[in-house]
Amino acid sequence: MSYLEVNSIKKIYSTRFGGNKVEALHNVNFSVEQGEYVAIMGESGSGKTTLLNILAAILKPTSGSIILDGKEMSCIKDSEIAEFRRDNLGFVFQDFNLLDTFTLEDNIYLPLVLSGKSHAEMSKKLEPLAKALGIAQLLGKYPYEVSGGQKQRAAVARALITNPKLILADEPTGALDSKSTDELLNMFADINRSGQTIVMVTHSVKAASTANRVLFIKDGEVFHQIYRGNSTDEQLYQKISDTLTMLATGGDIK
Amino acid sequence: MKASIFPKLARTGIIKNKKIYLPYILSGIGMVMMYYIVDFLSRADSVTSIKGGGNLSTILSMGKFVIAAFVLMFMLYTNSFLIRRRNKEFGLYNILGMDKKSITKIITWESLFVSVISIVFGLISGITFSKLSELALLYLTHSETNYKFAIPTDSIKFTVIVFAAIYFLLWIKSVIRVRRTDTLELMHSENTGEKPPKANWFFALVGVIALGIAYTMSITIKSPLSAIFSFLVAVILVIVGTYIVFMAGSVALCKILQKNKKYYYKKNHFVSVSSMAYRMKRNGAGLASICILSTMVLVMIASSASLYFGADDSIKARFPQQNQIECYISSFDKLTEENIAKVRSGYNDIFKKYNLTPENLTEYTYAEITALNSKKGFDTDASHVLDNMVIYDNLRQLYFTTVDEYNRVMGTNIHLNGNDIMVHTLRCSFDEKILQLGDVKLNVLGKLDSYPEFGNANVDVIPSIMVVVSNYNVIKPLETLADYNGDQMLDICWHYGYDLDKVDAQANEVFRAQVESLANYDITRHSSDGTGNSFSYNASCLAEERDDFYTTFGGLFFIGVLLSIIFIFAMAMIIYYKQISEGYEDQSRFEIMQKVGMTKKDIRQSINSQILTIFFAPLGFAMLHLAFAIPPIWKLLQLFNLQNLNLVLITTFIAIAVFAVFYAVIYKITARSYYNIVSEAKE
Repeated sequence: MSYLEVNSIKKIYSTRFGGNKVEALHNVNFSVEQGEYVAIMGESGSGKTTLLNILAAILKPTSGSIILDGKEMSCIKDSEIAEFRRDNLGFVFQDFNLLDTFTLEDNIYLPLVLSGKSHAEMSKKLEPLAKALGIAQLLGKYPYEVSGGQKQRAAVARALITNPKLILADEPTGALDSKSTDELLNMFADINRSGQTIVMVTHSVKAASTANRVLFIKDGEVFHQIYRGNSTDEQLYQKISDTLTMLATGGDIK
Repeated sequence: MKASIFPKLARTGIIKNKKIYLPYILSGIGMVMMYYIVDFLSRADSVTSIKGGGNLSTILSMGKFVIAAFVLMFMLYTNSFLIRRRNKEFGLYNILGMDKKSITKIITWESLFVSVISIVFGLISGITFSKLSELALLYLTHSETNYKFAIPTDSIKFTVIVFAAIYFLLWIKSVIRVRRTDTLELMHSENTGEKPPKANWFFALVGVIALGIAYTMSITIKSPLSAIFSFLVAVILVIVGTYIVFMAGSVALCKILQKNKKYYYKKNHFVSVSSMAYRMKRNGAGLASICILSTMVLVMIASSASLYFGADDSIKARFPQQNQIECYISSFDKLTEENIAKVRSGYNDIFKKYNLTPENLTEYTYAEITALNSKKGFDTDASHVLDNMVIYDNLRQLYFTTVDEYNRVMGTNIHLNGNDIMVHTLRCSFDEKILQLGDVKLNVLGKLDSYPEFGNANVDVIPSIMVVVSNYNVIKPLETLADYNGDQMLDICWHYGYDLDKVDAQANEVFRAQVESLANYDITRHSSDGTGNSFSYNASCLAEERDDFYTTFGGLFFIGVLLSIIFIFAMAMIIYYKQISEGYEDQSRFEIMQKVGMTKKDIRQSINSQILTIFFAPLGFAMLHLAFAIPPIWKLLQLFNLQNLNLVLITTFIAIAVFAVFYAVIYKITARSYYNIVSEAKE
């Protein structure tokens, strides 16, 4: 059995009075192995954000099941969802989602504080992490005092500090300049090499080309996937571009 | 652009933002109503025609002024909030190609709608409630009521003028604000991120010290009159201190809490402490305003209610007897039994004429003088005495009577010879062996436990020393002392006081006749106006003055209640707007927290503890202020001859309880709107 299994997920949005129904996800199946780094790509409206929200347990699928490390997510009670999310998932968002009332350090501590960890324990965890992410000097600063790349690194630290089973990244490079983007993607690759499972939703071919595997979603289904195999980042980049072109022109993929 | 689009845009703007416009308009209506009512009362025939109604009119007119000034400040505050919320919309209009001139037109229409609605409905409700409040006022002042209903055009005119002016100023402010800012700023004006505040330890300390000084001043204030000045200083210190403490002190406190890692990194402290630290700098001012308003309401209600409910006590203290006449005699030589007997028989004739019998008749003679307490005895120099009139701590009122008079009135049997005296002190102490008064030197033999209620000694504020002398000759040298007008400084008095079985107009007439009859005798002292016809007396008639007490105290209480209502109203608005703006700010924050794994329960708990702290801190501080304000208030109330401390305390507690209920209701309502806004973003 795989680490994360997504089985025939369907999601239908309906307007409040049930009049119009929109099918965002038709039938999504895929699985992620432990330690894998998967990128999910697709055009706007293809349903990738919906998929990520379902993986994040923010949305409930209309039908289908998601199993993370042997645990069926739809069986989790509503009251325990937040806790489940806190303990098992780490999030990296496009707009960082750091709280401006906290220093970077406190922002990173937030999930641990919510789990009731002691300060000594938290700082022991933070120290190596901050060093690895290169933010050790910035911990006392407030989000408004640091650059976007630095903010995103703090957000990554916040996602990692709980040792989550899965990191979910939603367009993590979307708000970054190209230098910060490179740094962040290298960091993701490093984190992945140390054994962390990552699922990233992205528009950016460059971001996707650092993953082990790229899934393409179209019209609410997994349309195609590319394994890295032995390709370099540049080769994978080329493959992804070709696929996207074909997706856009409606050609078939062999 | 078609001209008709502006009123339409203005209308939809108001309707779409009803969450903030409705309270704004409602508060406008409330303020117009209050103003109209006070204006109406200050002109109403029934008010001006009651005895002492002139006083009442003055009190009401001053109240009117206070209301207008307060309304202006308050409206400026709420209006700025309104503009901040609306700027985003205006920015969008601007980007879509609407120039600032057109935006100004929209604002103009909006102001027009809001002001016309507020003034019209305010007047309607003012007129509706005017008779009711008139009846309440007349009831409080123990005056006769009538059931005529009037709508004075003057009141309407002035209310409209005052509020048109206020709304005009608000309009100007809004226009300037929109004209000055550029489009992007308009768009983002609500979201401009703010630096988290740094704790300013110096200011925090200054605030705490200011409060400390004010508190110490207020509990160490000694005499009521000098208290007025110290009280003013203390009030200013409290206001300044409160603002600093809320703005800097609270941030400093949060920083201390944050430094305590064990405390801070707890689920239920983490979020609330940090966001409080973050918002206290800006919201500190709002909270301090709420605190000051609460304190004002409490002080106002507690003291005016104490005066009103203690009026009967005050009257009793002020007028131990219904009618009292202190006749000033020109010299000790004229103060003979023979002379007084003539006046007395004249008085008896007057009683007969009205067919009345006096009860509890008291009669005695005494002399009094004000002197300055110095190292070399009592200084009788007129200019020295005058210099000390404001801060009168060192002044002493000296009363003299003969041992014969004392024995007669008190029923004692004391013997004194030559320069020997006995003393009794009131509000001061006197332990010397010799009492030196100008050139007069007297030997103090001992102390007396009691003394007749001479003149106003009981209700006077200056510390008094009562002296029993062997005869008036020993203080005769004082007779020649004169003040800067050439008036005699020593008052030689004959006191005549009695009760009648009814306090009515007849009692008043007897009193008048008796006072006027004094002109027929040549014993009275002539004052310096030079005509030689005048005569000196100090007289009080309960029937005449009781109404004055009731109108003054009743009027003060009425105004106190009215202003309290306005203040509470304003406070509710400030709190409401604060909660709403915080709600919009916190929306995104709580969304993030949920994403990071905060449960809804956690969020609710953190909101609760935050709101509760922020909400009840001002109330707590207001009560603290009030507790320290009670000593000086009590001393000031004693100036009005209020003697019943329990009454003041009970009134204060009731005022606090009633106020706390209002406050809790405001809390409930605003907390709910806060929850609604914050949870809007959740799904």
